[in-house]
Amino acid sequence: MKRIVLAVLLAAATAGVAAQSPPPQLGALAPENLKKPRPKAPFDLSGTWQHDGRFSTWHFVPETFKLTPEAQKHYDAGVDAMKKGGVYRDDIGQCWPSGMPLIMTRVWPIAVLQVPTAIYMISAFENSIRIIYLDGRKHTPADEVVRTFDGESIGRWEGNDLVVDTIYFPGHHHWMDQGGASIPASEDLHIVERFRMINDKTFEVDYTMTDPKNWVGDWKSTKRFNRKDDTDITEVECLPDLNSHLPATSSKLLVK
Amino acid sequence: MKNTLAFAAGLVAMSASLFAHHSPVMFDMTKTQTLEGTVVEFQWTNPHSSIQLDVQTPNGVERWGVEMGSPNSMVKGGWRNNSVKAGDKVTVAVHPLKSGEHGGIFMSITLADGRRLGGRAAE
Repeated sequence: MKRIVLAVLLAAATAGVAAQSPPPQLGALAPENLKKPRPKAPFDLSGTWQHDGRFSTWHFVPETFKLTPEAQKHYDAGVDAMKKGGVYRDDIGQCWPSGMPLIMTRVWPIAVLQVPTAIYMISAFENSIRIIYLDGRKHTPADEVVRTFDGESIGRWEGNDLVVDTIYFPGHHHWMDQGGASIPASEDLHIVERFRMINDKTFEVDYTMTDPKNWVGDWKSTKRFNRKDDTDITEVECLPDLNSHLPATSSKLLVK
Repeated sequence: MKNTLAFAAGLVAMSASLFAHHSPVMFDMTKTQTLEGTVVEFQWTNPHSSIQLDVQTPNGVERWGVEMGSPNSMVKGGWRNNSVKAGDKVTVAVHPLKSGEHGGIFMSITLADGRRLGGRAAE
């Protein structure tokens, strides 16, 4: 009899907890989530795109900048390596992901699929995947999130623009430039993007980036991306076998 | 301390935009070196293709690594996955590593039958 009473009490308590908990977040591709009523998106980025190097450089580091003492050490080491013909900590060359924001301006196309709840971006460069959630969810609690090189991106529509907030970076092997300004990206890197369509074949993104552990103030830049309809992305991996064949990734000029 | 990108950007602005996988800074883009040798291996793969080349010198055989572009970009320049194969006698022009190590970034190749192929060492 005691067991039955205990079981009933436990069941009631569990039901009470369940009643107070928020409903679980539906997956972005769950039919129930996809079919929720939402305003029509101002534009659809589905397609294959590539950064327009004629409009702006692929770099995100501004022409002048002030670094924290810790970041300055890395930058100075990078300058020193370059003076000697070498490269300081080219982690991308060693198969670490480019991460945000560099993944956006690689010289590789990006396949984009947009649904009402999310935008999926797959760069042809090592098939790095970036997901921008549009279904109204908040950022994952800091003590639950798994930090990633492309970060966690939450988007919202503001008029005709898409505003994307990206945080939760790993804080290691992640850089703001490659082979040039050796400035690291910390776990506090925060990127805000404002996407807008220029025309059917071009979209533009304003970037605002802060990382108080590494630089003072915010870095701003604007990039454009053009449709690249004459290609598809393919499977690309960075394999140890690849790097063993490439002089640039095994040279003694690399400063690791 | 206020930094300017003049030094860093000046060094890499031209060439780095052509690369994605790694920095190209270690190659001496002002020098061209011609290698006559025998293909040991041709890798047709992303993000870079490559040729391993044995070059006979008075001091013996040197094994060179030649770094190339992605197959997607190379196809547009006339390359195919059977353009070269192990055993082929070829002449390859490269921008060599600044360090003097036996490696370079691809500029052009002359095949045994006299055909010449170029291609961007990019992407």
